[in-house]
Amino acid sequence: MANTPNKNNRKAILVTPEVCIGCRGCQTACKSWNQLPGQKTKNLGTYQNPPDLASSAFNIIRYSEVPSETNPVRWLFVSRRCMHCADAGCMKICPAPGAIYRTKEGAVAFDKEKCIGCRLCVAGCPFDVPRYDKDNKISKCHLCYDRIAEGLQPACAKTCPTGALRFGDRDKLIESAKQAGYGKIYGEADLGGLGSIFAFKDAPKLYGYAEKPNIPESVIFWHNVLKPLAVIGLGGAVAGALIHFAVIGPHKDEEVKKS
Amino acid sequence: MSEMVRKATIAEIVNHWILAVSCILLIITGYGFLFQLKPVYALFGSNYTMKVVHNWTGLVFTLSLFGTMFNYLHEALDLSSDDWNWIKMGGGYLTKGHVDVPPMGKINTGQKLYYLAILIGGLGIIASGFAIWLVQGMRTLTLLSHLIHNLCFVLFVVAVPAHIYLGTLANPGLLQIMISGMVPLEVAKKRYPKWMKEIGKL
Repeated sequence: MANTPNKNNRKAILVTPEVCIGCRGCQTACKSWNQLPGQKTKNLGTYQNPPDLASSAFNIIRYSEVPSETNPVRWLFVSRRCMHCADAGCMKICPAPGAIYRTKEGAVAFDKEKCIGCRLCVAGCPFDVPRYDKDNKISKCHLCYDRIAEGLQPACAKTCPTGALRFGDRDKLIESAKQAGYGKIYGEADLGGLGSIFAFKDAPKLYGYAEKPNIPESVIFWHNVLKPLAVIGLGGAVAGALIHFAVIGPHKDEEVKKS
Repeated sequence: MSEMVRKATIAEIVNHWILAVSCILLIITGYGFLFQLKPVYALFGSNYTMKVVHNWTGLVFTLSLFGTMFNYLHEALDLSSDDWNWIKMGGGYLTKGHVDVPPMGKINTGQKLYYLAILIGGLGIIASGFAIWLVQGMRTLTLLSHLIHNLCFVLFVVAVPAHIYLGTLANPGLLQIMISGMVPLEVAKKRYPKWMKEIGKL
């Protein structure tokens, strides 16, 4: 299946919030490489800027102020972006062939030409990532599929001065994070394994991530039950009609002798 | 020439064909969406064009479905013990030869139930379709609409082929009602005795 990434060659970005200094070089590099326009922003009383992902902001640093037992003020910085799920809700629900596709490095990329602007991917995403641009087309992080296909790093990871964003083979990144003492890697197994993985020191929810991210139940039910039923239903109705015609035959208004 | 009676008005026939053609177009494009069928998309030139065709055909379907309410709703809601007995014997469709079914009006029990199912399923698929099309930024509503739209779709792909079969192969001569609207009086007396009584022909 083209939907799921090839395990052997899967690339990922490892996010280590502990070493992030919140410089937002990643945001700038992303804008620069992807030629994304600036946008009007709003001061929400935090350094987080822009306030959320946008059609022209594929990644942001989320600033969370979270007190701990020993420290009343703690500032957590974490990169927020497309998670490049192995089991991607957006790909599952998307009705347009080729609009959202899997690259051979495992990234979830998109083709605006093929996007029909239905916005179902927004509803299907467990992480509220896809945004729509002014032409009503999908817009999100694509793991710099154009750079990584040429052996380069994504712009954000290339720019990151501290190693808070590291790009590479997914297996190796997980291994190195574990060696560095992170027991659990967020995204190692969730949704079939994420392509953006996180070495969290604290509970994921402190960083604004769900403990157990999931594709909406209704989308799974639709995929597993309603889609097959739409085929079985049509096939059954047509077959039923043909069998009825062959076995019982057309309706008769009165008794007639068979010729 | 035997005497004919008018079973369907011209307006009813035209509206039914608009409903039928739009419905089938919606089902074809619906399968295109459901399984990302490239050959179906190719019929329309581009992905985006097919979406536009689906959405606006949906509007045509909506209008003609509302139109049917003037033609069939009153009759379909007029259910009696005859209808229950008709259901119990499968409308005579389960036996090879001729069987006497309870007397029917202008439309029979099966058609009444079919109409009510299409009306309810149609309202569901219309409301959810417009919600997906026009409402943005309400995730729960979009997901619910997506579910309802697909549930109703399953109803349509089962019921519509059955309806087409029953209106053509299973009942020779019936298609004529959706073309000229006329039925020979003698046939009408056998099929629609209650209606014939109402208009004083029986």
